[in-house]
Amino acid sequence: MKLLTRYNRVNLITIITILSITGFAYYQSISWVLIRQSDKDLKDEEMEIVEYIGYNHHLPQTFESKYQQIIFTKVAPGSVKRQFVDTVYFKKWDINNPKREKYHREGEYDPGRGLITDVTVGNVYYKVLIIQSTAETEDLIRIIFSITVGVVLLLVIALIVTNRLILNKLWQPFYTIITELQNFTISDNKKISQLKTSIDEFRDMNRVVTDMTEKAKTDYKTLKSFTENASHELLTPIAVINSKLDSLIQTDNFNEVQSKLLNDLYSGVSRLNRLNQSLLLLVKIENGLLKDQQKIDLRELIEEMLMQFEEIFQAKELQVDTDMGDKQIIASTYLVEILLSNLITNAIRHNYEGGKISIRLSNEKLEIKNTGGPDALQSEKIFTRFHKSSGSEGSGLGLTISRQICENFNFSLTYHFDQPYHVFTVGFPGGPQAI
Amino acid sequence: MKILIVEDEPALRESIEEYFSEGGNICEIAPDYLTALSKVNLYRYDCILLDISLPGGNGIDILKNLKNNEHADGVLIISAKNSLDDRLEGLDLGADDYLTKPFHMSELKSRVMAIVRRKTFNGSNLLTFNEIKIDLMAKEVKVGRKQVKLTPKEYALLLYFIANKGKVVSKNAIAEHLWGDRIDIADNLNFIYSHIKNLRKKIVEAGSGDYIHGAYGMGYKFSG
Repeated sequence: MKLLTRYNRVNLITIITILSITGFAYYQSISWVLIRQSDKDLKDEEMEIVEYIGYNHHLPQTFESKYQQIIFTKVAPGSVKRQFVDTVYFKKWDINNPKREKYHREGEYDPGRGLITDVTVGNVYYKVLIIQSTAETEDLIRIIFSITVGVVLLLVIALIVTNRLILNKLWQPFYTIITELQNFTISDNKKISQLKTSIDEFRDMNRVVTDMTEKAKTDYKTLKSFTENASHELLTPIAVINSKLDSLIQTDNFNEVQSKLLNDLYSGVSRLNRLNQSLLLLVKIENGLLKDQQKIDLRELIEEMLMQFEEIFQAKELQVDTDMGDKQIIASTYLVEILLSNLITNAIRHNYEGGKISIRLSNEKLEIKNTGGPDALQSEKIFTRFHKSSGSEGSGLGLTISRQICENFNFSLTYHFDQPYHVFTVGFPGGPQAI
Repeated sequence: MKILIVEDEPALRESIEEYFSEGGNICEIAPDYLTALSKVNLYRYDCILLDISLPGGNGIDILKNLKNNEHADGVLIISAKNSLDDRLEGLDLGADDYLTKPFHMSELKSRVMAIVRRKTFNGSNLLTFNEIKIDLMAKEVKVGRKQVKLTPKEYALLLYFIANKGKVVSKNAIAEHLWGDRIDIADNLNFIYSHIKNLRKKIVEAGSGDYIHGAYGMGYKFSG
């Protein structure tokens, strides 16, 4: 729900509630005042009748005014209880009132207020009914109601218009900041732009967002340069260990246990070195330091690479089949070599002896399939850093680097399992439409 | 062969010195920029192993100094910086090769030997080890008069062994030399074995001595 909608809703509910309560209170108080007024009139009339009878000892002539009717009825003595009642008032129309023609009646019923009382003339007991029309009261109330409804409607319209026109404009800086934040990438150099607004809250928000993003960028840079520096600093000790190992094996004859230890040391250092190189490479790709681009004949490059791997295919008795069309890309040879080498290495490493590798190259995609484990890999997890299948001797960075390289050149890198093949696909941008 | 090792890390410097100091080679060392600069201005070397980041200066400036004075010493840059730009800058300025830390001693030795060969033989390029004769230009190997047909990898392996003769060369170093360190398939180095076996078989069958020996399961040694 938008803030504006929410705000409007609350506002409207409040206004309607308050105005209804006000209307109700008006209605109650006004009708109370008016009823009291008409009750007073009725009492006056009663008094007048009583006085008249007191002097004249007979009933007054029943007359009819515009707003009062008095009716005397003979009743059994003591049967009348004095009380005020809500009743109807029969209003007679004038002789020339057009309504007489229209409705073929002499008048109409209006709401009325009545007083039932009693008088005794001589020894005759009468019930007196004095009725007064309250049509004016009802009219008044109707007017008050209409005014209330009118005010509510007016307010609602005013609110909607104000909100549409002014609030939308007022909130514009807010939406601008949201858009800026959405487009924010920690690794590029674009800054959050300064907003031109006179509203303090938005100025504050803009300032805080700017500071925060700047800080995030600085932290990110620090982290990156830390990784880079750490990896650089590691190179020398690794070089020392490596060289000392090389010197150590020259020294004398070793027995089997010692050679086994030395072998393990060698492979440990070699893995440490590769891991370190991978980290450095990742930082370099992320920093965009490897921007050189050439035209690459992908098919040629893959064929060269497969030749390099030939001995390893043979050693593992892997069956490699290729189906490659011509494909040229513009990219960094260095990075594309790493990408291909990573993918092919994976296809070998996670294969079993006598397994199969199949490479397909078309204008749209490069597909590297290999047999291997019987179950599909978790396709999103495998691209995260240091995700390794159990027993893998790799650095756990190979696929991260591969994906990073692909992103660098707007290629896609995806995985799917097509029993019994694990398939890695590099999708080239544009596909067939591009050419 | 006279070599200058310009390297500020003592442990690494000592290893290199030790590895190169046999068989009549002379090694001199320079732990910092100024020592290195004065040495290259005073003496001539067959090969200078040059670290880029040095206390007191930059190795690149030493390289520039050498080239400005038209000294023809071979220069092999050894650097921790594996950036393409550095590599290209070094080679553009006239360095003969570029090796990134960390490296195997045997790799360093084979690179140095290649530089020295290029400098000394001046194109005549014939490498001899007892009855084995290698024409470096034509990439042909003969045992006595008999030509031996080697695959490119076997050829590279033979050169590598000869450059490191008398030394134990680890399987890791061999794998990295033949396949490059980017191909990190070295989980299981046994596939090297068949290459060595083939090379050994070919040269022995051509009448050469059996010079390649296994060294306690972790490497090989080429010795006469």
